[in-house]
Amino acid sequence: MLNRNRLILLTMLLLTALALWLKAPVAGSQGLTITAARVEGALPVAAPDDPLWQQATAVEVPLSAQMVAKPMWPSPSIKSVTVRALHNGKELAMLLEWADDTRNDSSLRVDEFRDSVAVQFPLIEGQPFFCMGQQAGNVNIWHWKADWQAALLARQSLQDAYPNIHVDYYPFAEAQENIYLAAYTDVDYLTAEAVGNLLALPVPSTPVEDMVAGGFGTLTSQPAEAQNVQGYGVWQEGVWRVVFSRSLRSDQADDAALAPDKLHAVAFAAWDGANGERNGAKSTSQWVSLQLGAAAAAAPAEEVAAPVGAPAAAPERAVPPTNTALVLVFVGLLALAVVAGAIYLLTLEK
Amino acid sequence: MPDVYNWQIGRTMVYPYPEAHPRQQFAAVFNINRCIGCQTCTGACKATWTFSRGQETMWWNNVETKPYGGYPQHWDVKALKLLEEAHQAAGVTPTWDRTQANEKAPYGVYNGLTLTEAAGPNEVVLGYLPTDAEWRSPNFYEDTSTAYKGGPFGLSPDGATLPEHQAWFFYLMRICNHCTYPACLAACPRKAIYKREEDGIVLIDQARCRGYRKCVEACPYKKAMYRGTTQVSEKCVGCYPRVEGADPLGDGVPMETRCMAVCPGKIRLNGLVEVAEDGSWVEAPQHPLYYLVRIAQVALPLYPQFGTEPNIYYIPPRWAPRPYLRQMFGPGVDQAIERYIAPSRELLAVLQLFRTTQKMIFRFEIKEGPLVREVEVNGKMWQMYDDTVIGFDAQGREAVRLSVVEPLHQRPPERPNSI
Ligand code: SF4
Ligand code: SF4
Ligand code: SF4
Repeated sequence: MLNRNRLILLTMLLLTALALWLKAPVAGSQGLTITAARVEGALPVAAPDDPLWQQATAVEVPLSAQMVAKPMWPSPSIKSVTVRALHNGKELAMLLEWADDTRNDSSLRVDEFRDSVAVQFPLIEGQPFFCMGQQAGNVNIWHWKADWQAALLARQSLQDAYPNIHVDYYPFAEAQENIYLAAYTDVDYLTAEAVGNLLALPVPSTPVEDMVAGGFGTLTSQPAEAQNVQGYGVWQEGVWRVVFSRSLRSDQADDAALAPDKLHAVAFAAWDGANGERNGAKSTSQWVSLQLGAAAAAAPAEEVAAPVGAPAAAPERAVPPTNTALVLVFVGLLALAVVAGAIYLLTLEK
Repeated sequence: MPDVYNWQIGRTMVYPYPEAHPRQQFAAVFNINRCIGCQTCTGACKATWTFSRGQETMWWNNVETKPYGGYPQHWDVKALKLLEEAHQAAGVTPTWDRTQANEKAPYGVYNGLTLTEAAGPNEVVLGYLPTDAEWRSPNFYEDTSTAYKGGPFGLSPDGATLPEHQAWFFYLMRICNHCTYPACLAACPRKAIYKREEDGIVLIDQARCRGYRKCVEACPYKKAMYRGTTQVSEKCVGCYPRVEGADPLGDGVPMETRCMAVCPGKIRLNGLVEVAEDGSWVEAPQHPLYYLVRIAQVALPLYPQFGTEPNIYYIPPRWAPRPYLRQMFGPGVDQAIERYIAPSRELLAVLQLFRTTQKMIFRFEIKEGPLVREVEVNGKMWQMYDDTVIGFDAQGREAVRLSVVEPLHQRPPERPNSI
């Protein structure tokens, strides 16, 4: 049986491989460019309402269903995120906004999932596969989680979710004087925490997890001491607004290097917890471009189309790909890759 | 997706990974007929593995009362319903073809869909995520009687005569089945679940799990569970340190798990069976589990039609309605009950081995004894012999020796009541 998904995946991988081989310049495949406005002084890393954001042009990045790897998700809730970016020569901050009717900021109960959003950068020259990267084409992923944001305020126990729960006692949770109970505590009973799983840490240092991936199923947290992406998110009247920030420079190999003189590729993904979205059940964007603006060329304020807080309102459709010839070459390669992929798969099925 | 051979359904089936089998497989036989519902097994597991915060509603071992009980509530009804709907959508009537039974397909061939085959285009396994309410209490409503339907004035129309007892129930004791083709493993998008090469125990890597709960959704037996306080999933670990022989009590040889070793009803027998490269069990007529499952065929897998090839085998209860039991344990039920009711000489001896030593028994021997009883069972004469069965541990040392007739000790008259 010819497997459609395998065909799509193979085609996309072939295409990205060809693009990499041709050293195609990074131009957003959706033709969008986000320009990080250059500002002076501290960035509003924990203030989505700060007037400084008005200096950045809002770009609405369309999202679509992840339909390549199982579990696939044909009907995700979130159709786009609106992105603004600022930098001050040392640090980058990105404000992501999207509509979501429900705030899901706990994943304590077995049947509840968090809202979250992610920013992805390639760790190689060019564009690896836009969804989670590929082998030899790692990506750096920043994943903001609504429940981590909430946990920074107060870590929840099951007693918070279920006030009437009855438990006789928790051995080893607290040292006891009673001779029948243990006089010591032991973290090893929190198995995931004991093996250093960042998800299990009692209190995260930031609501953003800094990770690396090289294809589906390979997502890996960077070590606790390498977590250097900050974040802040608020939900108000059906809109999430989340700020990501990191210093432009990082000496870690698994961190994207951000330089003012370069056109970066960046992609986004978002999850609606109320819709059961987690892992590959998500909406993703394709690669778009990110340009760090020069000091002199700060974007004039009148170009700001969308007022902060109204994400979907009249966003800017930014620069289309520049080189028409290159686009033609791309289309040709796409056709070639599809044919090659189909032939390959047909021979595989025999 | 590759095809793998599942001997319990007598055919190849769809699975996301190609066949690769462990050298030995963790397995057990549970004799439903003897369970007294004491929950000692449940408590032993809880006290060993799941007593901490976030594990409050986690019962890796649970004993539920069939037909109404279930933990999480209605797990089997819901899984069966999903499968039934998939069959209807596909226009398939699931049946078992007993005529095709052979050495490689002891129960015949299942012609319906398994859970990997019935999955929709976007998923790997057909499943559902139970709600938190469904996990909340492991024996919810199980001891609630049905309403009394009286006649006029609430009086019984049958007067004082006692009606024939129509009710039936049995206990179903459940742990993770350490399946040959685990649905939990198949569904994990991160490959955070693995099956150990040395004993086939299925574990969730606590470092790689990200709490997506795809395993909780996929496992038809609902034995992968989510821990909200660490945001990752956990499951029965098959008491692997004991299986490895690391328990100081076991003096280096594999020991039965905690839930098995404590059972006062003596209903459980736990061990490791040797697995060939093609996944079949290496012929070992003197291995108690091999004998019970493959030779006597008195112990059957739970819902083999799900297709995970579970490795906990049940001796079905004699008294429950057969259609219900056939749905639950497949078409081997009638033969299994028939053989259990009037056990062969060898079977009766092997049944004595249950829960008599904490060491896993790898081989048994029988020394024949005298005929002690002759009675009619279901219209046929049945003979009982006082044979002696000897169980040997992993190193071939004698671990236990038992006779079919329990030795009788009479207290001398001067100490009739002493302990
Ligand atoms: S019983 Fe469930 S959790 Fe256990 S191995 Fe099978 S599918 Fe996985
Ligand atoms: S095998 Fe061990 S971990 Fe699994 S249910 Fe039994 S006691 Fe619990
Ligand atoms: S300990 Fe044994 S007899 Fe008691 S409930 Fe568990 S399986 Fe049944």
